[in-house]
Amino acid sequence: MGFSVSGSAAIVFVGLFIAFGTFYSASTNTMEQVTDARSDWGDRDLAQRNTDIEITAATYNNTTERLAVEINNTGATALSVDETDLIADNEYLFPERSDVDGDAGTDVWASGQRLTYNVSVATQPDRVKVTTGTGVAATEVVTRG
Amino acid sequence: MASVSASHLILFIASVLVAASVAGTITTTVGRLSDGVSQQGDALSQDVQTDIEIISDSGAPVYDRDGNGNITLLVKNTGSRSLVPLSSQMDVLVDGQFQSAVGVTVVDGASPDSWQPGDVVRVNVSVPNLDTGDHRVQVTVNGDKEVFRFNL
Repeated sequence: MGFSVSGSAAIVFVGLFIAFGTFYSASTNTMEQVTDARSDWGDRDLAQRNTDIEITAATYNNTTERLAVEINNTGATALSVDETDLIADNEYLFPERSDVDGDAGTDVWASGQRLTYNVSVATQPDRVKVTTGTGVAATEVVTRG
Repeated sequence: MASVSASHLILFIASVLVAASVAGTITTTVGRLSDGVSQQGDALSQDVQTDIEIISDSGAPVYDRDGNGNITLLVKNTGSRSLVPLSSQMDVLVDGQFQSAVGVTVVDGASPDSWQPGDVVRVNVSVPNLDTGDHRVQVTVNGDKEVFRFNL
């Protein structure tokens, strides 16, 4: 009789042990995944709060049919040129030329630096909007140069 | 004496069967619970990693730009995971009405089938004969809602 009780208890104990192991690994993996995601979100949020840009000039040259846009990085986050988007009257533009303080080869648009876009546009747009990789945007009315 | 041993054996077998059944039920139930927790964790982490922004300029026209009665919005992936540029993965409401005629095209991405972080998609919502006045478009991807308001 005693052996039956011990054997049964051992089987239930092994079952509980396996169940605990399964649940523990699942819950720790999940917690880790969610914690990583939240930490990542915190980093993105911080970068977004530290981002600020200002369009200093948006000029259309009627003769050359080119639009030149100058944007200053007035925030504290180093931005990516590739991840920055330029739209004019809600038309997505692909600038043929872009440079950061005269350097056309860099992707880093650091704090205090000026990004200059130069793009061919057939007609003068009314407005331009520049959006950074963090989602912070600025708009400006286009003037004739 | 033999009858005592036989009854002990029967009791032993019965107790082992009951214990095995209890242990089996516990492990199966906890296994299902663990699967549920893992799936919830996956979904939650994907929701947290998803972030979009409507980058269209509300001061410029967004409706009927090509004369086909479409609302055209540019939406940027500002999250940290790539998304699927399909209308089935995106819920669009215009003035509170769910829209099924939605087209999604990657504008500046490397691949037309992947909406990578930093990439922009063009969302065309067919809403013929939209009345003049104020309008509100809500785009939802993986639980991340963005609202764009414009005036006709």
